[in-house]
Amino acid sequence: MHRHPEVDLKRWIIEHDYERKTKDYIKIKHMQQMKTSKLTIDRFDLFTIIFDILISILGSLVVNRLIPILKEKFIKAQLWGHDLNKRNSTEIKVAESQGVIAAGIFLILMFIMIAIVFSEHLHPESVFPHNKFVEYLAALLSICCMVLLGFADDVLDLRWSVKLLLPLIASLPLLLVYFANYHSTTIILPKPVRPYLGQQWNLGILYYIYMSMVAVFCTNAINILAGVNGLEVGQSIVIAISILIFNLVELQGICWEEHLFSLYFMIPFIACTLPILIKNWYPAEIFVGDTLCYFSGMTFAVVGIIGHFSKTMLLFFIPQIINFLLSIPQLFHFIPCPRHRLPRLNPELNKLNASEVEFKKSDLKKLEYLNNDGELMISTINFTIINTVLCWCGPLHEEKLSRILILIQIVFGTLLTFFIRYYLVKFFYDS
Amino acid sequence: MHRHPEVDLKRWIIEHDYERKTKDYIKIKHMQQMKTSKLTIDRFDLFTIIFDILISILGSLIVNRLIPILKEKFIKAQLWGHDLNKRNSTEIKVAESQGVLAAGIFLILMFIMIAIVFSEHLHPESVFPHNKFVEYLAALLSICCMVLLGFADDVLDLRWSIKLLLPLIASLPLLLVYFANYHSTTIILPKPVRPYLGQQWNLGILYYIYMSMVAVFCTNAINILAGVNGLEVGQSIVIAISILIFNLVELQGICWEEHLFSLYFMIPFIACTLPILIKNWYPAEIFVGDTLCYFSGMTFAVVGIIGHFSKTMLLFFIPQIINFLLSIPQLFHFIPCPRHRLPRLNPELNKLNASEVEFKKSDLKTLEYLNNDGELMISTTNFTIINTVLCWCGPLHEEKLSRILILIQIVFGTLLTFFIRYYLVKFFYDS
Repeated sequence: MHRHPEVDLKRWIIEHDYERKTKDYIKIKHMQQMKTSKLTIDRFDLFTIIFDILISILGSLVVNRLIPILKEKFIKAQLWGHDLNKRNSTEIKVAESQGVIAAGIFLILMFIMIAIVFSEHLHPESVFPHNKFVEYLAALLSICCMVLLGFADDVLDLRWSVKLLLPLIASLPLLLVYFANYHSTTIILPKPVRPYLGQQWNLGILYYIYMSMVAVFCTNAINILAGVNGLEVGQSIVIAISILIFNLVELQGICWEEHLFSLYFMIPFIACTLPILIKNWYPAEIFVGDTLCYFSGMTFAVVGIIGHFSKTMLLFFIPQIINFLLSIPQLFHFIPCPRHRLPRLNPELNKLNASEVEFKKSDLKKLEYLNNDGELMISTINFTIINTVLCWCGPLHEEKLSRILILIQIVFGTLLTFFIRYYLVKFFYDS
Repeated sequence: MHRHPEVDLKRWIIEHDYERKTKDYIKIKHMQQMKTSKLTIDRFDLFTIIFDILISILGSLIVNRLIPILKEKFIKAQLWGHDLNKRNSTEIKVAESQGVLAAGIFLILMFIMIAIVFSEHLHPESVFPHNKFVEYLAALLSICCMVLLGFADDVLDLRWSIKLLLPLIASLPLLLVYFANYHSTTIILPKPVRPYLGQQWNLGILYYIYMSMVAVFCTNAINILAGVNGLEVGQSIVIAISILIFNLVELQGICWEEHLFSLYFMIPFIACTLPILIKNWYPAEIFVGDTLCYFSGMTFAVVGIIGHFSKTMLLFFIPQIINFLLSIPQLFHFIPCPRHRLPRLNPELNKLNASEVEFKKSDLKTLEYLNNDGELMISTTNFTIINTVLCWCGPLHEEKLSRILILIQIVFGTLLTFFIRYYLVKFFYDS
């Protein structure tokens, strides 16, 4: 075959063009693969949700069985506390850190769930969605790491500054995956500020700082709204159910895949923490420890970040935010902060009073310039939502106080959030 | 422009052919992506190894600082033991479970390493190797889960049957990822058996059972070869250094990517456990606890499985295998098994003797048919390698015994393995 130079050139052009078009085609395929690959939720996804519910029920029963079995071992390992708000507080040792049992069974359930969720892609013809798999694994790695560090904190009783560091470490896999999957760090600005700041704002590295702050905040916010039987795990379950409802609503929407991801996590979470709630409710047989606060906080942070609804999720935390803002004077030591700020028992009435903190005026270091009465004793109630409720309602029985606080969580956390998210949002954002 | 029907058909054929060729091109690209994407180790990989060494040194110093800082907290949390082989054993409380410190710092180092290793792929033009990212995350998830369960076992003192269950749970992410990345479950049979069983053998699901058994074996095998200062962490470091050398040798070979992966894990592992070894060596200031055995065993299982060199890695465990085989009569209760089988101190000589177990002949339930002397007391040394050494060498000082056992690990674990792997292998496999 004779080779005319002009024919070679044409062939080169054709092949070059072919290669270029193929590379564009691959790139588009690649980007499409990263985005939602199915248009809407299908039968297989419904099957996975039902499977999730079934194994979660099983997990719930396992947790329920494990709690009495391991109670003695926890007490023997010095993981116990006195229920300070009972009249016979010093007589009974109550097992602490039970959150680790819920967290352990939760992890096992999620291992099984990953296998089921990705089982439809495990034949050679289908392209395995590694980018989604990576998000699941990173989520579980963050939660597992947080539970490990949280349980170590409970056992070793590390100092409070560590409580800010540990969630940061555990959130690193999340940040990695967020970066690796080319997720956007641009936020859309609300309508009122658009004339001044523009349509949107690329936060860049600030978005990553924001994400790790979400993890730090969620864990510690649950931790400081505590001290009454059933409060920590109760608020966690209310928030989890709120996220669950939000996910179910959004499954009809555009971002249904992210909400399905979050749903897979919320169902086992609620199932595993429910037995803990039942046993921790008044009168408490077990205590949940910091481990549960770490576990809950990180799970919520994980689903909020990977599901791209962290702002809505933070709205579910409105009571915790209010409690945090209230507590700022004591947390930052403008006013002295005692070891425990939980309410105090009034033994005759068997009701709780708001606890107080006494200090000399001279202890108000930062506000020293305000007055010169150095020796005057000031007594003020500790600045928490719990004490605020007791101030407004007077002394309350502990169970009634718990119910009121959970009600506050439902009204100001959940209902208010849905009102903001589905009604007020029209004034701030386009649909 | 007029449309001649024949022209449309031609166009359709051309486009259809184009689409088919493109899909083939994509499929080939996809398969190539799963395989080694670079032909050999390059400068960026050398940079990552150096970075790994640097942060490992930093991690090593941190572990070294943390051990004395947290010692009191461990003791206060009831995580301590008496050094039974010292004359003043009941006077000093030795902090236990220090392995969790090494494991925690190791995890933090590996989080940083993942970010560095994958940083070269984090620009939009490059195709991010999600399948490799998935293997790293699953490896870390398995190790993290194992450390959590192992630390909980140390704290709560769970019963021995749990020690077989926990590594199985923690190895689930590994199995998942192995399945998801279409790795082969076919083993190549050695030359002598080929005439009878064929060239190769697809084990299918048996291969997955084998992988989880590797995890269970590695953790428990290190755990039962214990009882002398510095033995558990010493053998772990010897095995780790052996794997490191093996990886460095194989970096020149075909499977260099898997060995690079393993290298990334071994360097921080050795760095983090080195301070533990220094403080655990005779005379021990700290004890490592079951946590270190779990941590080491799972790390080795992880690199062996994902690096596809599990058979060679098990060869490094030859002393542990021999110890396990020796211990079978006691582990399966053919002969009664006491709580501790470590050597006993001879206080005058300050040397250790082989420990013994006494039992009546009638306790030999399984071998009852052998004899009728029901009440005769039999006394035999506990069946471990440690006692065997003491039988051969007579009473030894504890430090000398440790040195001999580490020497046995080096000779029969490392040197023998390299001899088998690089010399004897020629008789069993083609190159």
